[in-house]
Amino acid sequence: MEIFKSTFTGLIDSSGFMGLDIRNIIMILLSFVLFYLAIKKQYEPLLMLPIAFGMLLTNLPFTGLYHPELWNPSTNPYFAPQYVEDGANIFVNFTKETSLDYGKVLHEGGLLDMLYLGVKLQIYPPLIFLGIGSMTDFGPLIANPKSFLLGAAAQGGIFFTFVGACLLNLTGLGGGFTLKEAASIAIIGGADGPTAIYLTSKLAPQLLGSIAVAAYSYMALVPVIQPPIMHALTTEKERSVKMGQLREVSKIEKIVFPIAVTVIVSLIVPSAAPLVGVLMFGNLMKESGVCDRLVKTAQNELMNIITIFLGITVGATAVAENFLSWKTIFIIVLGLIAFCVGTACGILLGKLMYVISGHKINPLIGSAGVSAVPMAARVSQKEGAKTNPSNFLLMHAMGPNVAGVIGSAVAAGVLLSVLG
Amino acid sequence: MNTAFRMLLESAGSTSESAIDRLQGLPDASAQLSDPDYWGSVGIMALTGILVVFLILAILIFFFWLMGTIFKAIDKSKAEKKASAEAAKKTEVPVVETETVSEAPQDDEEEIVAVISAAIAAYEGEGNFTIRSIRKRGDASAHTRSAWSMAGLSGNMRQF
Repeated sequence: MEIFKSTFTGLIDSSGFMGLDIRNIIMILLSFVLFYLAIKKQYEPLLMLPIAFGMLLTNLPFTGLYHPELWNPSTNPYFAPQYVEDGANIFVNFTKETSLDYGKVLHEGGLLDMLYLGVKLQIYPPLIFLGIGSMTDFGPLIANPKSFLLGAAAQGGIFFTFVGACLLNLTGLGGGFTLKEAASIAIIGGADGPTAIYLTSKLAPQLLGSIAVAAYSYMALVPVIQPPIMHALTTEKERSVKMGQLREVSKIEKIVFPIAVTVIVSLIVPSAAPLVGVLMFGNLMKESGVCDRLVKTAQNELMNIITIFLGITVGATAVAENFLSWKTIFIIVLGLIAFCVGTACGILLGKLMYVISGHKINPLIGSAGVSAVPMAARVSQKEGAKTNPSNFLLMHAMGPNVAGVIGSAVAAGVLLSVLG
Repeated sequence: MNTAFRMLLESAGSTSESAIDRLQGLPDASAQLSDPDYWGSVGIMALTGILVVFLILAILIFFFWLMGTIFKAIDKSKAEKKASAEAAKKTEVPVVETETVSEAPQDDEEEIVAVISAAIAAYEGEGNFTIRSIRKRGDASAHTRSAWSMAGLSGNMRQF
């Protein structure tokens, strides 16, 4: 009987119930909300569902799947050995570095810690870009290079929000954002999940969970967020502009494009090379037409595997102590501002181009400069068709849309080169 | 820091690169905020950031505009060559067509007659024609294309 009692109490003590506190419970309930958004509302379900499940797993006590303390340089610092030779003896001095001790991660980490290495070491986001590159047709952008301008303008949201996040520090709420944190929040305005995760994992990994959730939620909400801004900033006459047909782009141009973009961007902003370079590598494989098997893998199996790993580990970083803070609420608000300002900047430049081109460019394609591909372009098409049912803007909007992918990767590179 | 930025930040003047590095070294947001160079650095970073994005994409625009112009010129000259070659071919076509149309009674195989009439009926519409004669094209076919090659050719030419 005594043995039975001690076994039973031992079982209860080691069960998750003993470790549950109110914050874990709130986080678990939040993950249920994300499940609802992913399954019922279908908000970017391919990423939202893994993120939500990662969030659930990491907040169940004692599971040992993910250890936030292993990923914090102050609790898991790396001690670099320095060997000093003194006659026949060799002494070792250790100096504390600001980086992590990855050895300890490998020794003590759980499943999600191991998978998180791919986020921490910036492996997954570029590989997702490889898949995106191998699926993207840059033809509309090559046919109308002016679209690049709209892709650049829509990045205005990023830099606006960067300043906005710094201004929020004046309120003194939530402990404020450092420059690195402000940059990571601002990148939500690029509307590009992998880029946001890439930059945040380098600059402010403690905010990764909230930034990823905000970025993917807003990307899913593009059809809701953008149309009111598009309507407010354009007149019916502008929206009904029909654009001339795009010229046909030859295969050689499509092959030169990825090579040229890689060389030009990497020479000017080397820190954007991991994203832009790999994106263009995927595209070159596709356009060359000689790597069909590799392209299929990049588009399907590799992309899917990485999406699963990325989603579940990014979700796992949303531990209660990081997520349940004022910062998360600010991130959600600032992310929305970044998105709206980005959309508005794209449309305003579109209006400018409308005037300069002699009313030949429909400003609606400007909002597609935020890089949520192809959702933002579809929104432009839909809004254009609402005003004039015979108007087909989709291909014209795809130009700024894919330019936005390059633009936000460049913006991330710019922020990294200043703050990284 | 990247050289492009160093140049831009230095040209911006008021806030030097070292101010940003110094801010980066400070432990938290409130310490950064109290630094006198904080707002200058934030403003310069945001401004140079968007400028660099525009600059790079402007370089790309220029490059691809140039590439587009070159390729358009190449396409145009190709199209001109093609057009002149096809104009030469077109002159042959009517001759060939008249030969295929001229039909005379030389074959009594009813089946072939039925198939040919059905084909013409499908093309012309029922009751709009009379078949007077069906005959094999004799030596005339020797210097023309086969039926498949003709179908291919006329398919290619239709759009012009």
